[in-house]
Amino acid sequence: MNYLLCTLMEIPWLPKILAVIITSGIAFCIIISLLVLTVIALVLIERKLLGFFTQRKGPNRVGLWGVLQTTADAIKLLCKENIELKHADKILFTLAPIMAFASVIVLWCLIPYNSEFHLINSSVGILLYFFFASFPMIFHFLAGYSSNNKYSILGAYRGLALTASYSVSIIFSVLSIILITGTMDLDKIVLYQSHKWIIFSNVLGFIVFFITSLAKLNRCPFDLSEAESEIICGYHTEYSGMRFAMFFLGEYAELFVMSMLIVVLFFGGYLSPFGGYISNTFMGNCPISSYLIYFEQTIWLFIKTLIVIFSIIWIRATLPRLTQFSTLNLFWKYIIPVSMINLIIIFLVRF
Amino acid sequence: MLKQLYLSTKAILRGHYTVLKHLFRKPVTEEYPEIHPFLNPKFRGVHVLENCKGCGYCKRVCPSNAITIIKDDSLPSRYSIDYSKCIFCGNCMYYCPSKSMKMTEAFEVATSNKLDLSYDVENRRM
Ligand code: SF4
Ligand code: SF4
Repeated sequence: MNYLLCTLMEIPWLPKILAVIITSGIAFCIIISLLVLTVIALVLIERKLLGFFTQRKGPNRVGLWGVLQTTADAIKLLCKENIELKHADKILFTLAPIMAFASVIVLWCLIPYNSEFHLINSSVGILLYFFFASFPMIFHFLAGYSSNNKYSILGAYRGLALTASYSVSIIFSVLSIILITGTMDLDKIVLYQSHKWIIFSNVLGFIVFFITSLAKLNRCPFDLSEAESEIICGYHTEYSGMRFAMFFLGEYAELFVMSMLIVVLFFGGYLSPFGGYISNTFMGNCPISSYLIYFEQTIWLFIKTLIVIFSIIWIRATLPRLTQFSTLNLFWKYIIPVSMINLIIIFLVRF
Repeated sequence: MLKQLYLSTKAILRGHYTVLKHLFRKPVTEEYPEIHPFLNPKFRGVHVLENCKGCGYCKRVCPSNAITIIKDDSLPSRYSIDYSKCIFCGNCMYYCPSKSMKMTEAFEVATSNKLDLSYDVENRRM
């Protein structure tokens, strides 16, 4: 990206501001197309895996082995009618899905995909991530509140109670990483792990972060705010068509980006797990290999992310949903004290 | 508390292992329209009628009143089963004194016209 920006800047007749706009536009298009493609693939992977976990076949009708099923679903959702509610708060009702999806896109821009492609390269990357990651929850609440439906408002309140319980422990486990690496820059956190992944020095922190991110993503066993068997669909009960698709896409995009963050924080991000890069070994020092490395780094990131996502789906296939009370019990009585103890241990070891 | 933690962790891990084993097993799904499903020998599908005496027991035991018999000199001149009412309980077959009622393995009776949903026998004594 920097290379493209410098090349555009050197063109004499092009205004500098236009060069910046073109570069960020291209990067944004890459991110958006990546997001939509991965989400469509992810929904398919989840449905297939859940099928295999329960000895079924999963979707197998549209396309070869059902690979086009989610594409067909997406097209169906886009063509469906947007139902307008009579007694809903119209502005909030329309705004909530758009903003929830938009904040997830920002999260995608914060992740370092390889050593060059990092859209928002900030020295407080982690802080920005959790700032924007708290947005979807707020807009889920507003969606539930504005739809004027008892199931939606129940789901919204449940989500809010869940947020209050997981926020503390997620910040504590992130603080432990900041203590270890001494930086909030995601790029530098990745580079810190070039010799040893952080998970080896912070196992307790990883367990806390993983459980908490399940709650943050509204995944099983903490999917209280959209418990289908209890309160229909929670906060998006009243949504249909494009607006529902936005919540749906946003949820899966958040799942993917959160798994990427887990990889970045604990499993060395885009770094190759073997130390050296395959493209470097095979291509030698020819000029193409330096470009191939960028692709390889992204592929490593995606492979590690898919492994994390596999375990999340595995947990969904195994565990039943916790009740509201036992979720709060788990977080306030066990997870938060454990994360505090972990933080204190890391503090004592470091200083 | 530690014992409780140990036991619950063990239970959760065992559950995960059980689910993971399913990943490597063959799916039990039958792809219905292409592959005909396996049916139990006692499966109760669409009826066939042979040598009916017209005694009317089946009509009396039918819990959903699906059977209509119009008699004509002690032989049924018109015998019909309304499949929009029939629940395939098999009572009619069970109580038939002359065992003239049988139930086959055919079960695909779905149709878009309600009038097609009846099994009509026009005095089929053989
Ligand atoms: S199968 Fe049961 S419901 Fe159907 S006709 Fe016979 S007795 Fe009636
Ligand atoms: S089917 Fe059997 S029970 Fe029914 S009328 Fe005929 S002989 Fe009687």
